[in-house]
Order: sequence, then structure tokens, then C-alpha cells
Amino acid sequence: MTVLILNALVNGILLGGVLALLAFGMNLIFGVVKVIHMAYGQSVMLGMYVIYTLTEIYNVPLISSCLIAVIAMTLLGGLMHLLVVQKLLTANRLNQLLALAGLIIVYENFAQVIWGADLRGIPVFLPVFNIGEVFIKTSNLIAFIGSLVVLGLLYFFLHKTYIGLAIRATAQDVECARLMGINPKKIYLTTMMVGSAMTGVIAAFFTPIYSVHPHFGGSFTMMAFIIVVLGGMGNLMGGFIGAFVIGIVTSLTGALASIEAAEIVALIIFVLVVLIRPQGLMGGKQTR
Amino acid sequence: MKRLSFLFVIGLIALFPVVHPSPYTLHIATLIFIWAFIATAWSYMGRFELISLGHGAFLGIGAYTAGLLFNNAGVSPWVGMILGALIAAGLAGIIGFACFRFGVIGDYFALLTLALGEITTLVLVAFREHTGGSLGFTLNKVEPSLWALKFTNKVSFYYVSLAFLLAAWFLWIVIDRSKMQKGLRAIGEDEIAASTLGVRIVRYKLYIYMISASVTSMGGVLYAWYISYINPHTLSGVGPSLDIAFKSILGGMFNLLGPAIGSALIVILEEYVRVVYGAKFVGISQIAYGMVLVLLIMFLPRGIYGSLSALFKKMSGLSDRK
Repeated sequence: MTVLILNALVNGILLGGVLALLAFGMNLIFGVVKVIHMAYGQSVMLGMYVIYTLTEIYNVPLISSCLIAVIAMTLLGGLMHLLVVQKLLTANRLNQLLALAGLIIVYENFAQVIWGADLRGIPVFLPVFNIGEVFIKTSNLIAFIGSLVVLGLLYFFLHKTYIGLAIRATAQDVECARLMGINPKKIYLTTMMVGSAMTGVIAAFFTPIYSVHPHFGGSFTMMAFIIVVLGGMGNLMGGFIGAFVIGIVTSLTGALASIEAAEIVALIIFVLVVLIRPQGLMGGKQTR
Repeated sequence: MKRLSFLFVIGLIALFPVVHPSPYTLHIATLIFIWAFIATAWSYMGRFELISLGHGAFLGIGAYTAGLLFNNAGVSPWVGMILGALIAAGLAGIIGFACFRFGVIGDYFALLTLALGEITTLVLVAFREHTGGSLGFTLNKVEPSLWALKFTNKVSFYYVSLAFLLAAWFLWIVIDRSKMQKGLRAIGEDEIAASTLGVRIVRYKLYIYMISASVTSMGGVLYAWYISYINPHTLSGVGPSLDIAFKSILGGMFNLLGPAIGSALIVILEEYVRVVYGAKFVGISQIAYGMVLVLLIMFLPRGIYGSLSALFKKMSGLSDRK
């Protein structure tokens, strides 16, 4: 029993690292552009398909196809911003939400038409090693460490570069940022692209772990939401902590009860947070 | 005049199976009626800026309550439908009270209900000994009768679903003429202002949510009985939930006929593409549908029928009511 819990705990922490990266992109987009990217998980799904197609059909080495996927997702995010999000910036929040939810239909069916409904995966065989009785999959460990490295780079990007400063300024106060000579339009585009690049990075880390299918993204969009809301929308540090909370809770529930129970618990946490503490666990002021 | 032409069209629809008794057309028409029924139920609350993205939950509750009672105890779907509607109303009451009491509105309400739809699917899948999990279950075969909602021909179901749709429209008109409608409209426009004028915000929103939920659950029973097969992913969860909302939005949720027109357009489009181009291209029609939706929400937030009728009214010199 203790071994089971210990295993679940370790896997939960590893999952939490990946979820932190997943939620980070959505959180950044929400914090700066102020829209909820409903098709976030679906972008991850498309990224995984890009990697699959390049590696399995065109025999591109895995690392380069991952890089291409990141670039492709960045461009897709930029395109989506220019075509859809930019025109919705002045619309009410509900319409933004619905329009982006409409994109879910577009993305999922696009994948279905091109790749079909079957599971697609790349056979990557990475060893499982153990410390005592705790078993760890190398693929999960790579994703965990990789996520933390990318999150570190993002922190550096946001705090040490001029564009990062401009992004943070725009998140805090658009009007003031404009007065400081920042063009919010460009910053929105950049943020969307950075956030979408994250979906490509996550796709790369997910490829050795999961097989992809057209409806793969839905539950990850949901997960990202749950974490973002739990940590307080737009609060990056809160999202980071929330990811580990959700990772550990779902992993433990999954091990002790069932996978459905794990998702139900995560969703119930989400419902309770929206009802009782809409500013999130870490949030300071009321944001609803 | 308007009422007369409406009755005339209904008469034509009612006589249609007599004139043209092709099972295929009747099948499509029945599907349209059922989805129009569900979309109309969604629009009861949707048109007051209460956007629920979790109505799949109620669809599933209705279908599973009636279906499980029917298969395990031989209870008539009519009884199951009423029980399902009560359960749906109860759930909507609990969720709605919590939401409206804590002031969860707009996009937060939409997201919360989205989670509700997903929770329902997961619960249905988790109780797989009884519900058949992800595979769902088929309804038992019984002697066809109205009591069991099973018929030997398509015409009967055509009339049953048409009757349901007419009842849903009737309920729309009843709501439209009630005091509640005025209160809800005020809430939709400015909640705080409405509350200072003594509009009972929580109560009205709760009522409309419960009505909408229970009517939707009846639609779930109807759909399940029509296709004789119940599956958690076609009857609850994110997919159908978004589908219901989008059908209404596409047609225009602010008008009586809007949701029905949206449902008709989508059902016909899907069917046309499937028949003419084969199953693979259904995806392509769905892509087009998604794009049209995004464009509509961006440029015509009142939907196809809503925008067209507003345009006609403008052209004929009548001022638009809303």
C-alpha cells in the first residue's frame, strides 16, 4: 500500500511538471491577451500529429521533427491570433469563449480528415528504472526535467529581456504600456506565439508517452483550465503550484480508485474553486 | 397574418409524411425535430445570456435514467422521461443555486457547466457494470407500442417528435409572456441594476435553468429511443454540449425559430455531405461548420435566422424590438 502511494506520489510530481508547462501557456495568454484559449489541448494534439507524420512517414529524425513541430505550432498560433483572436479582442468574453470553442471543431475534424480516427504513436522504447520500489519511466522523467528547463527559460525570457518586460507591462496595464511606447498589438501577437510554441514543446514531450487521436486534446484543455483557475487566472506562480497539486491529486486518486475518479476529482476541485474562490488559491484580488 | 402563415407551415409539415412517405426523408426530419427540440430547450436560458456549455449532462441524465429503468425494470420511457426530467431539474437546481448565489455568471458559468457535462460523462463511464461504460448499451427489444415509445414505422416517431417540438415552442411562448421573461431580460442586460429594482435574480435564473435542464433531458430520452442505443459520448460530455449550444447560436438563439433552423441546417449539411461524398468527408463538412460558426460569432452574433429576420424587419420599416 505504501509502495503504491509512494509510486503514485512520484508519478504525480512528474506529471505536475508537465502540467505546469501545459498550464503556463494558457495562463500567459490569459494574463496578457485576456482570452481563454479553448483550443489549447487541440493545438498540442496537432503538434503531436506533425511529429508523427515527419518521423514515421518522412523519416525525419525525432529531435528535428520536434523542433519543426514547435515552429509549426508557433506559426499556427500567430495565424490564429491574426485571423480570429485579434478581431475578438473588443467582443465580450462569452463570444471570445464560444468562437475559440468553435476552433475545437475545426482542429479536431482537420486531424480526423487528414490522419483518421486511429491511434497514432511513435514506438520509442525508453527504459523504466527503479529507486528501491519506486518505478520511474524515463519518458516521464525526460518530460519533467524538460518542462522545468523550458519553464526556467520562460522565466528568463519574461524577466530579463525587453520583450518579456513589455509582455509583463501589457499584462499589468495596457494603457500605461502604450504610453511607454509599447505596441500592444505586437505584444498580443508575440504572446500568442510564445503560448502556442509551448503547445509544440508539450507535444514533443508527450510523443514518447502517449499515442495521439483526434479527440486527444479535450482532456488536456480541461486540465490546463483546472490548473489555471486553481492558481488564479493570469497568475503564473499560482499556476505552477496548482499544476503540482492537480498532478499529485489525480495521480493518487487514479492509483487508489480509478482513472475516471481522478478526472472527476480534478473537475470537482475546479467547480469548487470557481464557486468559492474564483480568484484562485494564490490570487489576491477578486477577478470574476 | 404571421400566426396564420405559421399554422400553414406546421400543417404542411404535419401532412408531409402523407404526401411523401419516404423513410429516408422522414428519418432526417425526425432527427431535425429532436435536435431542434433540444436546441430550443437550450435557448430558453441561452437567450438571457446564461450560456451553458454543459447541457450534454442533462441529455445524458434523461437518456440513462429512462434507458436503465426500461432495460432493467421494464418501466415505460414516459415514466422514465418524467423521472429523468426531475433528476435533471434537481441537479440544475443544486448547481444553479450554487452558481447564482455566488454570482458566477458569463464565461465562468459557461466554464463551470462545461466541467459539469464532463463530470456526467465520467460518472456514466465509471459505473460501467450498470451503464456499459464507454460502449454504452442497446435498448431491449419489445413489442412496438406507444407506451414503450417503439413503433413499426418511421411515421409515428415523426409525429411524436414533431409534437415534442411544438410543445417546446409553446413553452417558449409561455415563458416569453411571463413576468419571468421581463425579469430575466433585465438581468441579462444589467444584473446589478435589475437587482436594485427588486428583480429576484437568483430565483428567476434558477427557474429558467431548471426548466431548460428538464426539457433537455426529455430530448435525451427522445433521441436515445429514436436510435435505440445509448452511449456516454454521443449523449453527454463536451462534444454534444458544445453541439447543442452551437446549433442554437448558428440559427440564432434570440428567436423562437432560430434554434430549429440552426439544427435543421446542421443535420441536413452533415447528411448531405455523408451521402454525396462519403463518410470521410463528414470531417470536411464539420471543418466548414466550425469555421462558419467562428465567423458567425465574430460577425453575426445573433445567428443566421436572427440576423436575417432583423434585416427583414429593418427593410420593411418595422423597428426591431430588442
